Amino acid sequence: MRFVNRGCLVRGALYALLTLYLIFVLFPIVWLVLSSFKTHYQTLILPPKLIFKPTLQAYEKLLTGGMIKAFKNSLIIVGIDIVLALVFSIPAAYSLARFKTKLGENIGFWFLSIRMAPAFGVIVPLYIVIRNFRLLDTIFAVNISHLLLNLPFAIWLLKGYFEEMPIELEESALIDGATRFQALLRIVLPISLPMVVAVSILTFIFSWNEFLFAFVLTSSSGVTVPVLVASLAGTMRFDWPLMCAVSVGAMIPAFVFVFFVQRYIVRGLTLGALR
Amino acid sequence: MREQYKFLLPSLIVALVVVAFPTVFLFYISFHRWIIFIQGIEFTGFGNFYSMITSREFIKSLQVTLIFVVTSGLLTFVLGLALALILSERLRGQGIIRTIITLPVIVPPVVAGFTWKFLLNREVGVIGGYLLPALGFQKSLLGDPHLALGSVILADVWSRTPLMFLILLAGLQAIPTEIYEAARIDGASYWQSFRKITFPLLKSAIIIALILRFIDAFNLFDTIFVMTTGGPGIATQTLPLLGWKTGFLYYNLGEAAALAVIMLFITMIVSLLLVRRIRQ
Repeated sequence: MRFVNRGCLVRGALYALLTLYLIFVLFPIVWLVLSSFKTHYQTLILPPKLIFKPTLQAYEKLLTGGMIKAFKNSLIIVGIDIVLALVFSIPAAYSLARFKTKLGENIGFWFLSIRMAPAFGVIVPLYIVIRNFRLLDTIFAVNISHLLLNLPFAIWLLKGYFEEMPIELEESALIDGATRFQALLRIVLPISLPMVVAVSILTFIFSWNEFLFAFVLTSSSGVTVPVLVASLAGTMRFDWPLMCAVSVGAMIPAFVFVFFVQRYIVRGLTLGALR
Repeated sequence: MREQYKFLLPSLIVALVVVAFPTVFLFYISFHRWIIFIQGIEFTGFGNFYSMITSREFIKSLQVTLIFVVTSGLLTFVLGLALALILSERLRGQGIIRTIITLPVIVPPVVAGFTWKFLLNREVGVIGGYLLPALGFQKSLLGDPHLALGSVILADVWSRTPLMFLILLAGLQAIPTEIYEAARIDGASYWQSFRKITFPLLKSAIIIALILRFIDAFNLFDTIFVMTTGGPGIATQTLPLLGWKTGFLYYNLGEAAALAVIMLFITMIVSLLLVRRIRQ
């Protein structure tokens, strides 16, 4: 909506409101980062000192205190998850987009329903299966569960993208004697690279941030970063700087990505509901 | 023809594994007495559903969930819409402002919960321990049943407003500017063109935003778990927390599955009611 000739007063009020909201958004993040550079004693002082001598103590504790394993687990889980999600979702999405059948349409709709299901509902059956296979507390268990949640999402996004793509390019390749598989690999995929990248990053953010599944399925050796944050926040021995440092570490990867893929995020978050 | 089926096969297998299996198995579990560490799985019909629905904790959790979903949903919607309207004006520094507004949605919810727990803490938090007491407010935010629910809502509004903002902004940007120019030439005021142009054209985006937000808030677990774990008492225990407690603290998987089925039906009914409004 563009109303250019609005009074200075309105414009000023808008800026004031925006500034208030931006402070509301940024203050917690800034405070978290600041506190991670404090000593334990400094975090306890109220009123808080705004100028203090920063220390890396909390980060040293994070590196030496055996917590790095959670970060390693998370990175491995996310990495494998992205590869598997792409390998399974690309052919599935392509087949749903190109061969229109009644069954295919229903499958597409079922995929959406998994997003509507309560997460702890999905985890009950999964927990029983994983327990029976004696795979609790392994990276594998977390990976399977994340794949389960990411696949429908990846398929839905890619399907929408493939459907919008002009079909002529593939058709001419098929007439020239290429197989479907070759057409997908050589023609469709290179054009869809932006969406493939976006799907990878959204998978990354989802898997990196996911808490409930990792929490229920692991107890010690398979723990991920969010589980670590929650378990630190749940203990009674509050080591605030350490908790802040771990939280900062947990935020960094997603923040790095967002600056690259902002425009895909809307689409990803809304599951392509808006084009 | 054969090639077509070869290509449909992957999506079929994926659908079976990803969707069909968990759903069917979930329904199966919900009709059985299924408690870990207790031998024997028995068919109980609607037994799990009955004992879940008639328990006092369920009623209380349903109330808490209702308050949480409605309050947080409305607040995020109003804030998101206001921000989207402001940012579709021509402003200086638009790009950077948009990025900052978006940030909280990619902060892991666990971290968002922890951060607000830290800020609102009565002993060491800047807000709960310093700012509010300095203003004469002495109560502990996370220790008082009513205030704790408010605090959880505050953290959720912080972390989820960007989602509403992004969806509504995308909806606003899809409205062609020519319509507004024509309206202005005809002498329409800002409020008139909002009511007669923006609102009707934004309706489907609004409903999609509300559906996604409803599903999101109805199933929210991590933020509340980190901030209060449902406490004090069960003052902030929403249905997902009750489900987690039933299934993974008391190991009564049958009842947890029954609750999940109930929640699935509630989600479907609410979404369908909202979707029907788009069609009209």
